[in-house]
Amino acid sequence: MSLPEFDFHAPGSVDEACRMLAEYGPKAKIFAGGTDLMLDMRRRRILPENVISIPGIEELKTLDLSSGMLKIGSCVTIARIVKSKEVAGKWGALCAGGKALGSCLVRNLATVGGNIASARPAADLPPPLMVYGASLVLKKTSAERVVSIDHFFTGTGATVMAPDEILTEIRLSEPPPHSGAGYLNLGIRNACDINILNVASYVALDGPGGAIKDARIVMGCVAPTHVRVLSAENLLLGEKPSEALFERAGEAAMNAATPRGSAYSRASAEYKKDMVKELTVRTLGMALREALGPAS
Amino acid sequence: MKKLIRVTVNDVRYEVAVKPNQTLVDMIRYDLGLTGTKNGCGEGDCGACTVILDGTPVNSCLVLAMQADGRTITTIEGVEGEKGLHPLQKAFIEKGAVQCGFCTPGMVLSAKSVLDENPAPSEEEIREGISGNLCRCTGYLQIIDAVKSVGK
Amino acid sequence: MSDYDIINTRAVRVDASDKVRGLALYVDDMKMPGMLYGALLQSPLAHAEIVGIDTSAALRLPGVKAVVTSKDAGLVKFGVSPARYDETVFCHDRVRHVGDNIAAVAAIDLDTAMEAVSLIKVEYRELPAVFTVEEAMAEGAPVLHEAYPRNVTAQVHDEFGDVEAAFAQCDLIKTGSLVNKRQDAAFIEPQGCIASFDFSGNLILYSSTQVPHYLQRIVAMVLGLPVGKVRVIKPYVGGGFGPKAATNHMELAACLLSMKSGKPVKMNFDRRQVFMHGRSRHQFFHTMTTGVKKDGTIMALKHECYLNGGAYSSFGIATVYYAGSLLGGPYKLPAMKYDGYRVFTNLPACGAQRGHGGVIARACWEQQLDMIADELGMDPIELRLKNMMTAGDMTCNYLDMSSLGMKECVEAVRDRSGWESKKGKLPPGKGIGMSCGFFVSGAGYPIYRSDTYHGTVIIKLTEDGGTALVYTASAEIGQGSDTAFAMIAAEAIGIPMECVRLESGDTDFGMDLGAYSSRQTLMTGLATKEAGEDIKRQVLEVLSEELHVPVEDMDIKKGLVVFKKETPDISGLRTRYIKEHRGWTDNPSLEEPLSFKEASRMAFLARGSIVGTGKYKPPVLGGGHKGAAVGTSPAYGCSAQVVELSVDEGTGKINIEKMTDAHDCGLAINRTSVESQMIGSLSMGLGEALYEEVKFDDKGRVLNDDLAEYKIPRALDMPDVDPVIIESNEPNGPFGAKEVGEGAIMPAIPAILNAVYDAIGVRVFELPLKPERVYMAIKEYKLKKEKER
Repeated sequence: MSLPEFDFHAPGSVDEACRMLAEYGPKAKIFAGGTDLMLDMRRRRILPENVISIPGIEELKTLDLSSGMLKIGSCVTIARIVKSKEVAGKWGALCAGGKALGSCLVRNLATVGGNIASARPAADLPPPLMVYGASLVLKKTSAERVVSIDHFFTGTGATVMAPDEILTEIRLSEPPPHSGAGYLNLGIRNACDINILNVASYVALDGPGGAIKDARIVMGCVAPTHVRVLSAENLLLGEKPSEALFERAGEAAMNAATPRGSAYSRASAEYKKDMVKELTVRTLGMALREALGPAS
Repeated sequence: MKKLIRVTVNDVRYEVAVKPNQTLVDMIRYDLGLTGTKNGCGEGDCGACTVILDGTPVNSCLVLAMQADGRTITTIEGVEGEKGLHPLQKAFIEKGAVQCGFCTPGMVLSAKSVLDENPAPSEEEIREGISGNLCRCTGYLQIIDAVKSVGK
Repeated sequence: MSDYDIINTRAVRVDASDKVRGLALYVDDMKMPGMLYGALLQSPLAHAEIVGIDTSAALRLPGVKAVVTSKDAGLVKFGVSPARYDETVFCHDRVRHVGDNIAAVAAIDLDTAMEAVSLIKVEYRELPAVFTVEEAMAEGAPVLHEAYPRNVTAQVHDEFGDVEAAFAQCDLIKTGSLVNKRQDAAFIEPQGCIASFDFSGNLILYSSTQVPHYLQRIVAMVLGLPVGKVRVIKPYVGGGFGPKAATNHMELAACLLSMKSGKPVKMNFDRRQVFMHGRSRHQFFHTMTTGVKKDGTIMALKHECYLNGGAYSSFGIATVYYAGSLLGGPYKLPAMKYDGYRVFTNLPACGAQRGHGGVIARACWEQQLDMIADELGMDPIELRLKNMMTAGDMTCNYLDMSSLGMKECVEAVRDRSGWESKKGKLPPGKGIGMSCGFFVSGAGYPIYRSDTYHGTVIIKLTEDGGTALVYTASAEIGQGSDTAFAMIAAEAIGIPMECVRLESGDTDFGMDLGAYSSRQTLMTGLATKEAGEDIKRQVLEVLSEELHVPVEDMDIKKGLVVFKKETPDISGLRTRYIKEHRGWTDNPSLEEPLSFKEASRMAFLARGSIVGTGKYKPPVLGGGHKGAAVGTSPAYGCSAQVVELSVDEGTGKINIEKMTDAHDCGLAINRTSVESQMIGSLSMGLGEALYEEVKFDDKGRVLNDDLAEYKIPRALDMPDVDPVIIESNEPNGPFGAKEVGEGAIMPAIPAILNAVYDAIGVRVFELPLKPERVYMAIKEYKLKKEKER
């Protein structure tokens, strides 16, 4: 099936892209990696009048670590994240999220910004980005704002972005010492699959062998948006990590999950809930191992 | 409205008038007549339309023709050299890695990208590198063998 | 290792170099001057009356060249089996599934054709629809085809031996079931075609088909053309696996549009339409009861099966027979009762897919045999070997095991997998399982009742004598048949492969039923062998006249004439040959042995074109019972497999770690191709066991009509495979060869089921074994165990 008709624009800068967005209004659509948008257009789920292609904008393709903070341009491809030694070294769960996304061919096109802005509950990057406390830079012609990713998603396919805003950058501060994170996704096949469920966990310890001073757990595919499991996080705070504790956190996450199961969804609610527990326990274990360092 | 774009495909420079909603795969197949690039699903799932775009293998069904303006593309027709078949093409023939052949062009290009990046890939890296290309005939093992035999 | 020069080697495929270079042309790669593009209007509703069709707006759209509906197509019914012709090119009064065909448009480009399709107005009156076997067979349910009450399109009731009497002698009787989900063949090339009708009344149809011959016949029959005016050409085909083994509506629509517009018309399915057309593996509901004696002797099988067939018959009447008859072997089974029902539903029709009809039946039974072995305290391999048939045995339903390397297959996978050190000895979560399987080597009868030859082959020598041109209407669809026949021709004539050029897939080349039921190697192979031998005979006859050496004292080997007794004086003959080739630099010297090239040049000079012909049809096969034709074959291939896997009990996810597979293909014509078919079959079996299911919503629309959500294995999912070729020497096959293409899938699913049980101690009776299903089975089992405590 061919694509619907639209006008094509390839702005050379973010400013130009913003001007175009402002000019064409809500019937314009940003084309980042296109791996979702092309399908949506082909299937007539999205019918934009104007397609604004941004993967050619150089300033959106920087991967910058110079400020002690990781700044990812929104058009950095997933493949670059996966292959970056710096990202793997400090933000391993993000790297794992990238590896879980699509096939290697899709990862060569798909962008970090696209995986966030399309706001799909099964997306791979939001859980790790949320546990790392990412913030997002949104630009429009007149202004720029920075929002926490925690407050970015408002529903499936819906975000706080205004129609004339572009997600330009993703910022991650360096995780503190004695912290770690883990990401797991569950599909039917070994790889290149659409997630049945995905979970990221993060713990920061109060020194080597210390108590948990910070914890974040985020799950996908159980609600219209990715959700943080505050009940499970709170249960961990101030406690010494142990298998039993993680088991309880997993139970709490399971109880907090309210997946919708239907004959047409990828899995039943019961299975998803059980898997929330399983993946929470497993990712917490991964996070702890990383927090304790290679000596553990 | 059609717009003229410039694109270098297999070392040949083309000027092509393309429509905004035309995909790169359609331009390559129908405007340039390079039908070695196949259209299997149109949705980035099968990899039959794989081409190498500025050094990176991509699903050309997920790229708009206009986005290729000013860029360099290698299709299956550009893999063989003046001295004949690329070692990978020879290996595919010798190892029985070809059956219906519909996935073969994309598979060869993905495999070539693996070897271009790392001349001595592990089996896991090979599997990973061709994991975007579906093949229903071979069960992949003879393809993996072929790539392995070319790697160092 | 073998007495053959060409066959039984690892010859390079004749099509491989074009394919790796991107030069092989598939139908969508072809283009013709003035070619139009066609598009189909397909029903959005699962079941509805057509009240009216208005094509006027479409016809008015600039660029539209033809619009056709049932008014143009007529209402001639077609299908697969003449006994169940129940489809027309376009629906005229009723649509029976989402995707049912209503009209088609040809226009100057695809966008215009699609737009025109969207302008056709159809008024529907929606009817209640049935999607499941239960719904379709319920009292008062809507009937899809009036001639088939309760929507039962075909039923089989067979009993061989006395099942109840046999059960009475049994020590253990076990009942169980298995259900799969509808599957899709998921070939990578969607169906496509180009029809070109000229002003002399000749129609050429290029199509991505497995069966040029049947397509030619149906096109001629439906469109009212003489068969001789219809030529079907199959270019390279990007996989078939069954669904391309029957005429589709798009092919007929393209022909009609070309006849109406006078221009060539190209049409393609997109991936969505591939799923809407369907014709892949049915959903089967099997229930089986097996009786055995204490010592493991299998006594009887009672088997009931319901098939969800979709809206039309397609291959279904054969499918429902195969689902029963293929359990006749490979074990000695004195009594078998089978009741099969294929049921219409308002879904796309199901048809044939690799291992036609037999795959899920085999999986059900092989799991049951494992359970029986378990209860008897026997090793599953021991149970199977104890009951195994051997060559010369006849099944209770009259299938003749003319060769059967089944025991050798089982022993090979047992020994090579290290079965004895692993079975029952692996840590929890790891499992090993095995299964056997067997399949036909070509159907004993064509799809329409006829005494036709199943294959004819023509070989013509070029006038210089150097090249044998092989013409066959058989269908290379990726399996390697062109290469196999080039090898067989070369072997039969006695010349190197380089001296053979083969053309196939064109109905002008002769008669061939095509690529289905794993028939070509044996059937087309025998015809090719006969044609090659005919060539050799003719060349040697001329040589005999020239040299006064009896034909039987000569042979051709490796491109040279071999004189079995004393070598005659060939100088006269050679001098003549050299005189004809003055100025050529490659003339033979006087001492060199006489070449085939020289001999066949002499044959040409003496007789004109040297043309050899070959033909094949099977002898009368099978018993006299109704439906006896289905399942009969001149030969049966068989296989055994061991699977090793691990199950993540926390998530239910299965990881297949190793497959050891042995297949008896009689004699391997091309060893590489045989292994290719084995590994490819296992990959498909793995997908069907673990991932694959076509899902529908409550309106009968396919939910996962793409290759993201219809999941077939990727390179990361395929385990290491150890393929073992077993060669039993089939007396009815060419040089002893028989099938491998479909039989190899048979043991894959049950071997996985049995290995899962070995890993987790739980049996699963529903496919696919996706993580949720396995996890839930484990969870239920644990709860039950807790309660028991």
